[in-house]
Amino acid sequence: MQATKSFEQAFLKHLLRGCRLSAVSYKSMSLQERKSAIKLSADVAMASARGGRKWTRGLITKLSKEDEHRSFLQLILGTEYGRLTKPCHGSWKIPRSKKIVRRSLRVCSRRKNNLRAPHGVKSSVLARTLVEKRTHALKRLVPGVESLDGYSLLDETLDYVISLRAQVDLMQKLLTTFEASKLGALSKCTLPERKASFVGK
Amino acid sequence: MPIEMSSRRSRITDEEINELISKLQSLLPESRRRSTSRASASKLLKETCSYIRSLHREVDDLSDRLSDLMSTMDSNSPQAEIIRSILRS
Repeated sequence: MQATKSFEQAFLKHLLRGCRLSAVSYKSMSLQERKSAIKLSADVAMASARGGRKWTRGLITKLSKEDEHRSFLQLILGTEYGRLTKPCHGSWKIPRSKKIVRRSLRVCSRRKNNLRAPHGVKSSVLARTLVEKRTHALKRLVPGVESLDGYSLLDETLDYVISLRAQVDLMQKLLTTFEASKLGALSKCTLPERKASFVGK
Repeated sequence: MPIEMSSRRSRITDEEINELISKLQSLLPESRRRSTSRASASKLLKETCSYIRSLHREVDDLSDRLSDLMSTMDSNSPQAEIIRSILRS
């Protein structure tokens, strides 16, 4: 499973726009501020290149929480900013999947409690099941999925993981390209060719 | 429309859930070592969380390296020209 070519193109454009914007004020930025600006650009680029998912909206919303970030985001995204922060409507699938997950969780916890619970101790007194704990941990890691469960949660998670991998991949490619150009390896190729091979036409 | 037909259409099938879980599992690094038997829900969640955290760390590291590189770049450098050509496309 891979992100599409249009994702790659959109991601690179937004990332580089963000880099260029932060480069303008580089002289006055601390090292940490520069790093945060690039990281912010990369996350905004990923969310906007994908667009239309719970996690993309969650991420942009989270990143917009700080005022300074918000104006930076609006500069990178322009008119897309409004579209990306619009709340989305839940799909009809969500109530169904909650039922399935609750049903299977109830069965699992009943089985586990029957094995572990000493006679007379209420299951509510015992620690939450591992699945619940880890589901909460997952919800802290994937933006925008607090209200989701079961199928929807896994669906968003899968999409988010695929996008994260693409983000890592593209940033790696960009770095490699820059480092190669520093060594003068590009002096033999013309730039349009180089660009074409980079974005994988 | 008969009730049975509409409920069959709107329920998420076990098959769909299993397919989703398989897809997720195939992305996780540890799944290559493990046999094809399905991991438990808690194991899947744990490995997914762990993988996401490691991807976040990679992005942090790559951001650091990119920002170092950008700070030494001036508008005449070949890197700047690469950036301009990608943004023009």
